[in-house]
Amino acid sequence: MRRFAIISLVLITALALGLVSTVRAQSDITICFGFQDLETEFWVAGHKAITETLRGQGIEVLEYNANEDPNRQLEQVRECIAQGVDGIIIIPQDGDSAVTIINEAQASDVPIAVFNRPPNDRSRGITVVADNVSATEQAVEFMAQQALVKWAVTGNTVQPLILVGALQDTNAIGRREGFFNVITRYSEKYPGLFAEPIEVATEWDAATALANLEAAITANPNVDFIFTSSDFLFPTIRSVLEPRGKWVPRGDANHVIMGGLDGDATACQLIDQGFVDATGVQDLFLEAELTMDRLLEAIANGETQPNEVLLDPGFALSAANIQFDRSDMWGCVLLDEGFLDQ
Amino acid sequence: MPKRRFNLFQFLLNNSTIVLFITVFVLFGLTSPRLVIEGIGLEFPRFWLPENMLNIIKQAAVFAGIIGVGMTFVLLTAGIDLSVGSNMYLSVVCAGLLMRSSGLEIIPALLVSIVVGTLFGAFNALCIVRLKIIPFMTTLATLVIGRGLGTALTESRQIDFPERMNAFGQTLLLGFIPMPIVVFGLVVLAAWFILTRTPFGRQVYAVGNDIEAAKKAGINTDRTLVLVYIISGFCAGLAGFILASQLGGRVDRSFGETREFDAIAAAVLGGTSLFGGVGNVFGTVIGALLIQMVGTGLQFNLVNLYLQPLVRALIIFLAIFFDSLREANLQKLKRRFIRPVESSGTTVPQPARME
Repeated sequence: MRRFAIISLVLITALALGLVSTVRAQSDITICFGFQDLETEFWVAGHKAITETLRGQGIEVLEYNANEDPNRQLEQVRECIAQGVDGIIIIPQDGDSAVTIINEAQASDVPIAVFNRPPNDRSRGITVVADNVSATEQAVEFMAQQALVKWAVTGNTVQPLILVGALQDTNAIGRREGFFNVITRYSEKYPGLFAEPIEVATEWDAATALANLEAAITANPNVDFIFTSSDFLFPTIRSVLEPRGKWVPRGDANHVIMGGLDGDATACQLIDQGFVDATGVQDLFLEAELTMDRLLEAIANGETQPNEVLLDPGFALSAANIQFDRSDMWGCVLLDEGFLDQ
Repeated sequence: MPKRRFNLFQFLLNNSTIVLFITVFVLFGLTSPRLVIEGIGLEFPRFWLPENMLNIIKQAAVFAGIIGVGMTFVLLTAGIDLSVGSNMYLSVVCAGLLMRSSGLEIIPALLVSIVVGTLFGAFNALCIVRLKIIPFMTTLATLVIGRGLGTALTESRQIDFPERMNAFGQTLLLGFIPMPIVVFGLVVLAAWFILTRTPFGRQVYAVGNDIEAAKKAGINTDRTLVLVYIISGFCAGLAGFILASQLGGRVDRSFGETREFDAIAAAVLGGTSLFGGVGNVFGTVIGALLIQMVGTGLQFNLVNLYLQPLVRALIIFLAIFFDSLREANLQKLKRRFIRPVESSGTTVPQPARME
C-alpha cells in the first residue's frame, strides 16, 4: 500500500510537472535579443521599439549587449541557445559575424532574425534591412536638386564630398553606392554641375572623420555639398565648418548643401534649423515590426530555419516635406519627446 | 686618433625619423592641390599652407600627442599603458554627465576629467607596484574595466555636451593658435623639464635602464613607477576632454578606442625604446606629427580609401624598420671600437688584463 502511494505520488508529480511545462511552452515565449551596442540614437530607438513591443505582448526578452565584440556576441547567442530560447533577434557587429551567428542558431534549430545590419550572405535567416541604396538616392536626389538651383544662379561647379562609413559594413557600401548613382546621373545629364566627388574615410569613428574632413576641406575649400553616411557625424561636420564660416542655414550664400542617412533626432533638429537639407530615413518602426512579426510567425508555425529578406525602402525627409512627413521619422518623434534634452 | 669621415648613410640612419618626416612633408606637398596666388600667377601647395600645418599640429596634439607624452614616461621605465583610450573615455564621460546633470562649467568639468584620469592612472600604479601584476596585464584589464564602467554609466548611449563645450573647442589664442596646440605645447614643455631638469626625470631613465641597479643606487623605484602611471593617467584625462571639445561636443562609446596604439606608435617613432631607458618627449612630438601628417597627406592626395590604411601602415613600418636598423648598426659600431683601431683599419692586439 505504501509502495503504491509512493508510486502514485511520483506519477502525479511528474504529470503535474509535465502539464506545467506544456502550459509554459504554449503560453510563454522567450526571445533572446543580442545587440552590438546602443551608441547611436538609431540603435537606442530600435532597441526600445523591439523590447517594449515584445514585452507588451507578454513575451520574455533576454537582452545581451556585446559591446561591439562579435566573438562575445557569438558566445551570448550560444548561451541563449543553451537556455532554450524560442527565437533570437540580433543586431550584429558586422556582416561576417552575422553569418556565423545565423549558422550557429540554425544548426540548433532556433529561428533567428537580423535587424538592420544584414549578413554578408542573406540566404539564411530572416534579414530585415533598409534599402540603403534607395534611401540614400532619395536624400541625395533632393540635395542634387538644390545644387542644380545653386548652379543655375551662380554658374559655379558644385564640389561634392561624401563621408564614407567603415568599408567592411554593407550598410556603408550601399550608402556610398547610392550617393555615386545620383551624382553620376546628374553629372551625365548636366555636365559641369558637379566636380569629381571627394571621398573621406570615417571608419564610423568621429575622431577619424574629424581629422580626414578637416584635411579634405583645407585641401578643397570650395566644398559646398556634403553627404554623411550616418547622421551621427553632423556635430563633427559642424566643428569643421563653423570656424570656416560655412555652418550657416539655407538662404545664406555660404550654406553648404548637406544631407545624411539614418533620420535621427539631431538630423531632424538640424533640418528644422535649416543647416541640413535632407536625410534618408530608415523606417525604424516598420523594420522593428517586420522583424518581430516574421520571427513570431516562424515560432508559431514551428519553422526552425526561416530564410527571408524583408526590405525597408526608406524615404527622404527634407526641408520640403518635413512639415508633412515629420511624424513618420523616428528621429523627429524622439526629438519631440525631448530625447536630446535627456 | 683616426680621422672619422662623414658617412651619409650613417647620418641618414641616425636621423631616420626626421629624414622620413621631411620626405613625407616634401612629397605630400609636391603632390597636393595648389593654391593659385592671384595677380602673380604663382602656385603654392595647399599642404604647406600655415592653416594645414596648424591643423596637423592640432590633430596630432589631440589624437596621439598629449597621451603620447604620458606614454613616453611609462615606456621610459620599460612599462606600457594600454588603458589610455579607455581612460580618456571614462574621464570625459564623468565630466560630461556632471555637466549635463548639474550644469558644471567648462573649467571645473576639465578638472573632473583630469582627476578621474589621474585616479585611473593611480589605480594602474597600485596594481603594478603593490599587487606586482605586470604592466601589460594590468593595463589590459583596466582597458576593459574603464570602457565597461563608461558604458555602464552612459548605458552605452552617446553624451551630448552643452553648447559651451563646442565654443571651448574652437577657442583661439592670439586669434589664430587653436587651444589644443597651446595645451600640447605646455604639456611637452612640462614633460621636457621634468625629464631633463629634475631628479625624478633622471630616476625615470635609471629605472628603465636597469631597475635592480636603480634600487641599489637608492632610488625609490616604486615611487617612480607610481608617478609615471599617474602622469599617463593625467595626460589621458586632459586629452580626452580636449578631444571631446574638438568633436562638436558629442562622445559615443567608441571614443578613444585604439588611441593607445597611436600614442605608443608616436613614442616609438620618436625614438623611445619599448625596453626602457631611451627616449625623449620631443621625439614623441615628431612621431605624433608624422603619424598625423601621413593621414592628412593621404586625404590631400585623394588616395583610394581601401589603400589608405596600407600606405599609413607601410610608412610607420618603414620608420620603425630604419630605427631598428640604426640600433643594430650602433651596436655593431660599439663592438668595433672596443679596441683601438689603427689607420689601416686593423685592431691592435692588447695585453691580457690581470684581474
